[in-house]
Parts: sequence; structure tokens; C-alpha cells
Amino acid sequence: MLSAILLVGCRKDPALDVDVLDAPFALQLPIGAPYPLIPPENPLTMASVQLGKALFFDTRLSRDGTISCATCHHPDRAFSDTTPLSAGIEGRLGMRNASTLGNVAYHSSFFRDGGVPTLERQVIAPIQDEMEMDHSLEHAATAVAGDAQYEKWSALAYGRAVDPFVITRAIASYERTLISGWSRFDRYFYQGEASAMSASEINGWALFRSANLNCTACHNGFDLSDHSFQNIGQYLEYTDPGRERITLQPTDNGKFKVPTLRNIALTGPYMHDGTMTTLPEVIDHFASGGLAHPNRSPLLTTFVLSAAEKADLIAFLHALTDERSLDQVP
Amino acid sequence: MMHMRSIGTLLTFMLLFFVGCRPDEEVVPDPPVSPPTTLRVMVVPHWNGTPFNMNDVYVNVNDYRVKVQAIKLYLADVRLVVDGSETVVKDIDFFNLESGTASVEWSVPAGTWTSLRAGLGVPAAMNAADPITYPTNHPLSLSTGTWWSWSAGYRFLQFDGRYDLDGSGTGPVEELFSMHTGMDACYTEFDLDLGGPFTIPAGQTKTLTLRMDVSKFFYSDTDTLDLTTENQTHGENVPLALELTNNAVHSFSAE
Repeated sequence: MLSAILLVGCRKDPALDVDVLDAPFALQLPIGAPYPLIPPENPLTMASVQLGKALFFDTRLSRDGTISCATCHHPDRAFSDTTPLSAGIEGRLGMRNASTLGNVAYHSSFFRDGGVPTLERQVIAPIQDEMEMDHSLEHAATAVAGDAQYEKWSALAYGRAVDPFVITRAIASYERTLISGWSRFDRYFYQGEASAMSASEINGWALFRSANLNCTACHNGFDLSDHSFQNIGQYLEYTDPGRERITLQPTDNGKFKVPTLRNIALTGPYMHDGTMTTLPEVIDHFASGGLAHPNRSPLLTTFVLSAAEKADLIAFLHALTDERSLDQVP
Repeated sequence: MMHMRSIGTLLTFMLLFFVGCRPDEEVVPDPPVSPPTTLRVMVVPHWNGTPFNMNDVYVNVNDYRVKVQAIKLYLADVRLVVDGSETVVKDIDFFNLESGTASVEWSVPAGTWTSLRAGLGVPAAMNAADPITYPTNHPLSLSTGTWWSWSAGYRFLQFDGRYDLDGSGTGPVEELFSMHTGMDACYTEFDLDLGGPFTIPAGQTKTLTLRMDVSKFFYSDTDTLDLTTENQTHGENVPLALELTNNAVHSFSAE
């Protein structure tokens, strides 16, 4: 008994052990997942990811100390939000629905219009946006600087004190570990476990891949998205210009990045503005082919589903829900 | 053993002595430091020749009452020119006119020039760089508040204020205009005649005053910027951003 207590008492806490923290972060990848591109200048280490996670949940990054990244990216919702438009400090509403952070490690551009080229730079936006955290990154760094645990992690990961550079790198590192790929669909498709999906879900998967529905024209690959920008005919006139805001090309008006379908049952409401609340509503929109906007994607087709087929398709979408947490950090 | 160590110590001292006395190691006094040659660039706003103050009410070309509350801008790739030959004097600097005027000082070579060439905005390579890499006192650091995080670029020119469409009115001037240019398409080069030879003597500080006619922000030779419909641009209204940029570069004159 005494020796057991001693052993427990002497066990090193991995969150504090310098030897452990200095080690590379062993990213867990499901079968079928490619290794994501990790920028060599910001490698994943135990310390950088631990620090990133702590900062992700730290409300001191917002000007009035009321919200953190996790306020709008709920871990139990595949790191997305449950409201159409997320509320920043003082209830200020943003202009777009908060996307899931699952598999952002595979993205080459960020935000729904793809305006930001790196995850590190993406981190700046919500902290500084007056409709979100409304803080300057420098002041946010000052707010958390001096935290003994943060400084320890920061010194180990980046060889410097907590500052704006460290905040952007650490949060990006944590977000890169949010891998999604442990759904029943993955067990069925990537691991060959035939019983992992029901007959209804398998039929929905077949419909999903069918030329008639043409979903896989954009929702393909491991992330079930090619991350292209498409106008899906949601409106005839868009109040949000979408991709056009970045490229300044009228032909990009109303185009938004194709979202992943992983965890889609958890990440509603849907569309760039969160105006569709249910999966049946989304399916109905695509079945209609969308409105005749000049930039509407030619990949959209109209289709008709029976009630049973629609139920199968929805069942398949539910099979894309991860069965384990996206968060790999202890 | 002790004897050998003593001999070694003696040899070390002798070596140090001889090395220390080598004639080519004699201390050479530093050359006299000449004072730096400096160009002080001062941006001084005015309203069609009359003094300009932030938050004062003026009547613009469309007979609208306007109250300007912020003008912030970048000048980049600044060159002094004479006889077609350019000398780059500054990569980029930031001017915030919130306190009326804004001035910066640049180390430049001595010489005489007749015109200034610069870009209004942030050149593409700088606009695509990571702002975190700049130190706090750099014009492109996040501390200037000019980083447009959604586009991963900078606001080139910020022009904010209030307006009232009734130029003869006496009521509050409270409608908001907010025009921020950015994106590579808005980066615009311009030339400015210095009005004759402009000489910066070696070792001295010379001031170049850039007078900015704020009234010209609202018109060009061919068009006016009508606040009725043209009062907001934040990346989504490129024609207005380009119009404002064109007006702004023509607002400068050298004194």
C-alpha cells in the first residue's frame, strides 16, 4: 500500500515534466488520414500544444476577459458554434457562422472566404476583431504574460517569453492537433469494418457518391471537402460578397469555402451565415439546385429523393460524427 | 612536475607580452562621427488653403457638411529623384494625423533632388508578410492597428468621419463615413514635384513639408465622391477605394 502511494506520488505530471514537454507532439492520425503539412518553423511539441490549448480556453485574450476561442468553438460540437452568428464581447454579432476547427491542419486557406493563408495568421483575427474579442494582440499577450505555467511552456517551445508571436504559434499548433477521423464511416470505409455502418447509412453513402446527387464533386478526400470556393445559389444577391472580398473578382461573388462534412450532425446551423438549421433543410436546398445566381456552381444538379432515401442520406451524414474527442491533448 | 608547470606559465606570460606589444595591434582612434544627414517629412493637412483641424466642420465639394475624424496612411518605397535618377530613401512609413500633423525622420544621403516618388499603401510583398515578425516600433507592427486580419493585409489609407447632407444646416453632423483602402489593387504610386531643387546638406536635418488638401479627398478633375452613396469601403467596394486613393494622391503638394 505504502509503495503504491509512493509510486503514485512520484509519477511525473506530463503537463509539467520538462523532458516530456520538450519532446515532439505525437500526433495521432486515424487510418486513411494523410500526415498534415506542419510548417517547419512551428513544429508540434508537447509544450507548444499544451500552451496552445491553455490559450485557446483563456478568456484573458478578450478585451473584457469574458470570451475565449472556445466560447465560439465548442469542443463538444466539433469545435463549432451552435448559433447562426457567434457573439463576441458585449454580445456583438459577427457576420459569419463559426466553422468547425476539425481538420484545419489540412486547410491551405482560412475563413470562409479563404482570405488568410496560414493558421498562425488566422489566430490574429478573432483576437483583434472588434466584433469578437476586440483586443490588441499585444495587450492580450500582456494579459497572460507572467503566468508561470505559460512562461515555462513558452520558453520550452519557442525559447522566448509569451508574446504575440508565441500566442499565434501556440494556438495554431493546438488547432492542428484537432484531427477528425474516428467516425463509424471511417471504420467502415478506411478500416473495412463492414458492420460499422447500418444498411440505411450504407445506402446513404451510395446516394452521396451517386452522379445524380454529385455531392462528391466537392465533398471528397479525407476531409470530405476539396476546400474549393463555390457559390451554391443560396441567394440571388449576397449581402456578404464571400470570396470576392478577397479576390475582388465579381465572378467570385457569393462563393464560400466548401466545408468539411465531418461531424456535420454536430456543427449546425449551416451555411456561411448559419441560416439553415437542419440537415433536411440543407438537403432540400441542394435538391433544388439552388437559386440562379450568375456565379452558381455548375457542379450543382437538381435531384429528387424519396423520403426513405432522404432518411438514408441523413443517416449517412450522422455516421460522419467522430466517436472520440477531437482533442488529443491530455 | 611543478617545475614544468612553472615554465609553462612563464611561456604563457611571455607570449601574451609579445602579442600585446605587436605594433599592428596598436589602438587606432575611431574616426570622428559626422552628424547624420536626415530628412524630416512632415504631413500637414489643410482644407483648400485654410487651416484644417480634426473634428471641425467643413463644407465639401458637394455642399455637404463633413467632419473628418481620422486620417491614417502609409507611404512606401519613397524615392528622391533628380534628372531621372532615383534614390530610395525609405521602404515604408506610417502617418497618423490624429493630432493634426504627422512627421517622421529618415536617414538619407546628402544631395539635391527635384521630385519625390512614393506609393500610397503597402507594397505587395510587405502586405503579404506576417505582421508578427515586425517589432512594436515598426510601421507595419500590429501596434499601429492597421492590420486587416480578415484579409491578411493592411489598411493603406483610413479616412473616417461624419457628414450631413445639408450643407447649410446647423444640426449635428452625425452620419458616418468610413473609407478604408487596402488590398494590392489599391497600392498607387505617385510623383510629387518639389518645386525646384531640394537640397539636403550633409550632416544636417532638412524638413520637407507635404501639404495635404483634405478637401480634395472628395473630388478629382473628373468626378466627385458623393457621400450620399459613397460613404463606406472596407474591402467590399473597390471602385470607391480606388477613387479615394486617386483623390488622396492628388491632395499632396510639396512646400
